[in-house]
Amino acid sequence: MPYSEAFKDHLAHPRNGGEIPDADARAELTNPACGDRLRLTLRIRDGRITAARFLAYGCAPTLACGSALTEMLEGITTTDAARITRQQLTKLLDGLPARKSHAAALAIETLQEALRVAGSPPEASS
Amino acid sequence: MRRVYLDNSATTPVDPRVVEAMLPYLTEKFGNASSVHFYGQEARVALDRARREVATLINARPNELVFLSGGTEANNLAIRGIVESNVEHGRHIITSNIEHSAVRGVCDALEKRGWEVTRLPVYEEGVVRLEDVRAALRPDTALITLMLANNEIGTIQPVAEIGALVRQERERGRKYLWLHTDAVQAAGRMPVDVETLGCDLLSLSAHKLHAPKGAGALYVRRSVRLTPQSLGGHQERERRAGTESVPLLVAFGKAAALAREEMTDRIEHLARLRDQFEIGVEARVADIVFNGDRERRLPHLSNISFRFIEGEGLLINLDMQGVAVSTGSACSSGSLEPSPVIRAIGRDDELARGSIRFSLGKDTTAEDIAYVLEVLPRAVENLRRLSPLYQKSLAERACEIKTA
Repeated sequence: MPYSEAFKDHLAHPRNGGEIPDADARAELTNPACGDRLRLTLRIRDGRITAARFLAYGCAPTLACGSALTEMLEGITTTDAARITRQQLTKLLDGLPARKSHAAALAIETLQEALRVAGSPPEASS
Repeated sequence: MRRVYLDNSATTPVDPRVVEAMLPYLTEKFGNASSVHFYGQEARVALDRARREVATLINARPNELVFLSGGTEANNLAIRGIVESNVEHGRHIITSNIEHSAVRGVCDALEKRGWEVTRLPVYEEGVVRLEDVRAALRPDTALITLMLANNEIGTIQPVAEIGALVRQERERGRKYLWLHTDAVQAAGRMPVDVETLGCDLLSLSAHKLHAPKGAGALYVRRSVRLTPQSLGGHQERERRAGTESVPLLVAFGKAAALAREEMTDRIEHLARLRDQFEIGVEARVADIVFNGDRERRLPHLSNISFRFIEGEGLLINLDMQGVAVSTGSACSSGSLEPSPVIRAIGRDDELARGSIRFSLGKDTTAEDIAYVLEVLPRAVENLRRLSPLYQKSLAERACEIKTA
């Protein structure tokens, strides 16, 4: 399966790349199998994510998932954020090749970790 | 959008002169070269001509060439064919750890069937050392198989020196030691002469020479006996059963003739543009590493590792701007391990993952290179801005400056 236009658009024009210096939540996870890394920083005000930034090292899906995830996060509550699934993220990219699903998994795990650090226990995951 | 194809090591565009030469053999000249009638003889004459052209390119005799489907089949027939017909004389093979998968895969399979395989290192320069070959030789060594030039970093291997070593061994009375070289990347990009190389077997592929995919050849020195790997027909002097693809082989012959006629100009053109490209990249992009010896290599290829980023992201970004390249990153190959070739020259995982192969072709222009030099630095910079490794390095550098 080739990468979708939506996917390539995220890669060519990444949303929210960077880091929030005094973030309210921060997590960095590494995929032990391939070494891909994702760093996520969030600003949270009154239970709502007001800013999300990502840094990523790894194959193209890891970068695209970081970009798409931050786009989903901005403006929603941490409770809603904790309910975001791998499938929803993948859908935003118009799908991922089967062997690349680990990139979406890494993104969701990093989000869960950031929310855990921020004190909002994840409610749903898949 | 401008399109620049810098993946000529993967395959080359078919030359219009080659298309023109092959077309009649797809239409009115459709005969089977094994048939006795007019149609068959017409095909036979064309096939013979193609065989002479390809033979001339490598200074071989026409009857020393076996036509087949491509480089992979040539490597399979060469290696399996020679070791299977020499089982009683020894079951040891010497090769390198940067071979193309078509050689690596065959050696791995033979190892499982009881052959012993020594894989020689290539050091940082990406070149096998003659003394290592000499040291690896054993009384039961049946075959040395070493590529003439590497497909990822373009380094040229000391095949002629090894050929001389094999000849010395023969003069000392050793009859059953053979030398095979995979010249798929080298042919047309450097002079290839089977007499100078002293090899017994040499693999060629048509589509790296501006002919279509699906044709190749194995040079088999006179008096070398191979166990055929496909049976059921008398074609190719019993060495490769199956009806020859006359149109594809006619194309191969034409492409070989053109490669020979234009070789000097092509090499000069490729090296000039490649050097311009490398000087340009060096001036515009920091934190890069050139992979492989920069002298002893093919003229069309440049392999560069970009620190802090992964090759696949860069490849897709370049592709979106019309520039086609390839990468040694694991992601695009579907494996978890990055390029074994880049690892073999001692680069760490990060550099192996960030390696990009730019391979120019005879039709690449100075404008193409200028365009790539315009888009590449921006693409690298954009990806680095997203990279936690890059941010870390920036922070460390800022810290160093402060300390100083």
